[in-house]
Amino acid sequence: MGSMKKTVRFRTIFWSLVGIAFAIFWVLLLSGNILWTSDTPPLQVIRDMDNQMRIAPQEEYPFFPDRSSDRPPLPYTVPRYAQVYTPETVDEALEKYPENPLPVTEFVLARGKNRFETFCTPCHGVEGKGDGPVVKRGFPAPPDLNRDITRGYPDAQIFHIISRGQNVMPGYANKLSEADRWAVVHYVRWLQQRAAQTTESSSMEAGE
Amino acid sequence: MFTKDIDAKIKRSIGLTLFVLVASAVSAYFGLHPRVTDVGYRPTQPIPFSHKLHADTLGIKCMYCHTGVEVSKHSPVPETQTCMNCHIAVGIDNPKLAGVRESWEQNKPIAWRQVHKLPEYVHFNHSVHILAQIDCASCHGEVEKMGVVTQMQPLTMGWCLNCHRNPEKYVVPARPISGIFTGTEMAAWGQSKPTWGSGRWLKVKDGKIEAIGKQEYQFVAADVAGIVIPKKPSKGPETCSACHY
Repeated sequence: MGSMKKTVRFRTIFWSLVGIAFAIFWVLLLSGNILWTSDTPPLQVIRDMDNQMRIAPQEEYPFFPDRSSDRPPLPYTVPRYAQVYTPETVDEALEKYPENPLPVTEFVLARGKNRFETFCTPCHGVEGKGDGPVVKRGFPAPPDLNRDITRGYPDAQIFHIISRGQNVMPGYANKLSEADRWAVVHYVRWLQQRAAQTTESSSMEAGE
Repeated sequence: MFTKDIDAKIKRSIGLTLFVLVASAVSAYFGLHPRVTDVGYRPTQPIPFSHKLHADTLGIKCMYCHTGVEVSKHSPVPETQTCMNCHIAVGIDNPKLAGVRESWEQNKPIAWRQVHKLPEYVHFNHSVHILAQIDCASCHGEVEKMGVVTQMQPLTMGWCLNCHRNPEKYVVPARPISGIFTGTEMAAWGQSKPTWGSGRWLKVKDGKIEAIGKQEYQFVAADVAGIVIPKKPSKGPETCSACHY
């Protein structure tokens, strides 16, 4: 009798273990668990027309020798709607743009702030002092945008430096549209003005 | 006909077969859903690029590298030039960056592996969603917390429609890390709520900006070609032709 009891208990334990394993399997399955990461591309059981003949941007495309769907522009051609920045030197820029063509509105300043904090802050810092996070990682520190020399630059010169770059700074004409660059120029002016006010008030305080 | 013993065995095996069939059908139905098959896709990239380091630690915004997401359907994967904007001077001896330098020297693109892939009969437009101030994290998860980018959402039609129907429930509003232009920056100029039709004219005089009073102005598109005007988020379209065209 004792041996039979043992068998029953063994069976109960076995099946309850199976049940628990099954429950865990289901919970994991239905939760679509993010813990299951995989290096292999997702399984496609029903493929429908998921992959078509059309060429997507930045796709691998074996037709061309460099296997890329992105094509460089043909020589001597200019893409439609392209904003080509032509001035090669500051003087040319000064001649072409006597003043900032954008009106200074809250919208433009807000846009300038947004673009400045996206594209300039990594090196120039939030205030333009040249203390951005990338500088802390070893990039040569850019000069303070609020210093007197930069303050004296005409708008077109700042615009030219943003577009073409200077020293180790690359040009941002490919990342910022012309209007965005002018908005950044306005914002840099606003930063300079604010910095000047802060220095004035602090020196006045010191004088008192 | 059969003995009791065999009868019971047959009954049991029929029951078991039915159970196995139903269980496997249900498992296949749910187990092959993209939320199981697609979520968690984490391809090893040719260069061990960490979004966590660049976006979270350094605070570089998504749009610094993925520039153009604001104005185009496709969100561009940055070209090697973007890497070299900084890595021309930072980490020049780092062996992890060998692939970037090679790409730069040989003028050959880096073969990044695509993580999020929609079926090609669906047209998803990034710029429309960015203009509606929907944060990247709504679909991509918090990429700035990821060492290796992993797909976080199933990207199925049902999932898209959930959000199109109840944006307030699913949309992550634009966060500063993304670099999306929300207009909240305008609060700095004394406006609690951005208004896109009117504002204060400011004037530059001797390198100083001075306000010249509140005035209605029309934003002339030609003046600011390229500057996008954000719209308020609203329900997405549910017509077929919105995405399948």
